[in-house]
Amino acid sequence: MKEKIILSISIGCAALILTMVMFTQFKTIEYTDIVALETMREAELRAELASWKSKYEEAETKMGDTKQKITEYQTQISSEQNATELLRQELIESQKTLGYTDVQGEGIMITLENGEEKVDRFDLISLINELRLAGAEAISVNDERVVFKTDIALPTSEIFLINSKRISGPYTIKAIGEMKYLESAITIKNGYLDQRKTERKKSQLRNSNQYHHS
Amino acid sequence: MIYISIVIGCIIGALIGMNAPIIPYTYSIYLSIAIIAALDTVFGGIASVINKNFDLKIFLSGFFGNAILSMLLTYLGEKLNVDIYLAAIFVFVWRMFNNLGIIRRYYIEKWTNQFQAKWNEKK
Repeated sequence: MKEKIILSISIGCAALILTMVMFTQFKTIEYTDIVALETMREAELRAELASWKSKYEEAETKMGDTKQKITEYQTQISSEQNATELLRQELIESQKTLGYTDVQGEGIMITLENGEEKVDRFDLISLINELRLAGAEAISVNDERVVFKTDIALPTSEIFLINSKRISGPYTIKAIGEMKYLESAITIKNGYLDQRKTERKKSQLRNSNQYHHS
Repeated sequence: MIYISIVIGCIIGALIGMNAPIIPYTYSIYLSIAIIAALDTVFGGIASVINKNFDLKIFLSGFFGNAILSMLLTYLGEKLNVDIYLAAIFVFVWRMFNNLGIIRRYYIEKWTNQFQAKWNEKK
């Protein structure tokens, strides 16, 4: 009796496992019943897989190349940006020199007036030269900007032409630059102001932090 | 009693199998080869019952041993790139037909004898 129970239980277990595995397999086959998979032979599938793999590798190497190119371009772009920045600064400097842009900053103002002697154009020219030597970035006479092509002419005894515009005294010369240098260049002993004094012409110096030349 | 246990086992196994998760297609070959091995052992068991030399130990060891061994062989064949499972299927199916032949012969003989006895009775 005991032997029979063991026998039936073990055979039942065997039947259970067998049917379980069988039904699992049925289900698996049913779910993976893809037409393409079924109709394709294994060798074909393998070839397909290999071709896809090679395609994938190709695409990957291509992607690497492209990435490298992108980084190259990016470094180039950044270096070009440096170059443009330099060019821009140079342009700003040039524009300042040419008087195309407004300049603002600290500087000095000198007023020349007829004293016992009249102010002549050489006074103006030498003053402008002195100021330039002292490092003035921008100079103006009676708000007329002095640039590289400025003319200072004296058609009559009373009227100056600056930039072909008439101006008359008193003459106010404004210079933007390092205030210390400009001032010392003008007020030095036997310098410009001293000479004007000996020539008995009136001249006055004023300093300011804010001059504007346009 | 044995038949009841077989039926119960089959029903429970079918229920579990239907609710079991799907096995990846790549591994289904192992399962199928194991099923063939187990079926071969079952038919072998029936044939041995008919021959009156059934042994539970031999049956169970054949049932699990053949299944596991055939799966291992399939795995080995996959590693060696040789379809060993085809040989295993060949052997199992061949033995299955042998056993089926034994069973068929036994039952045909039995039924013919019964029929003959009835025929003789009528006469």
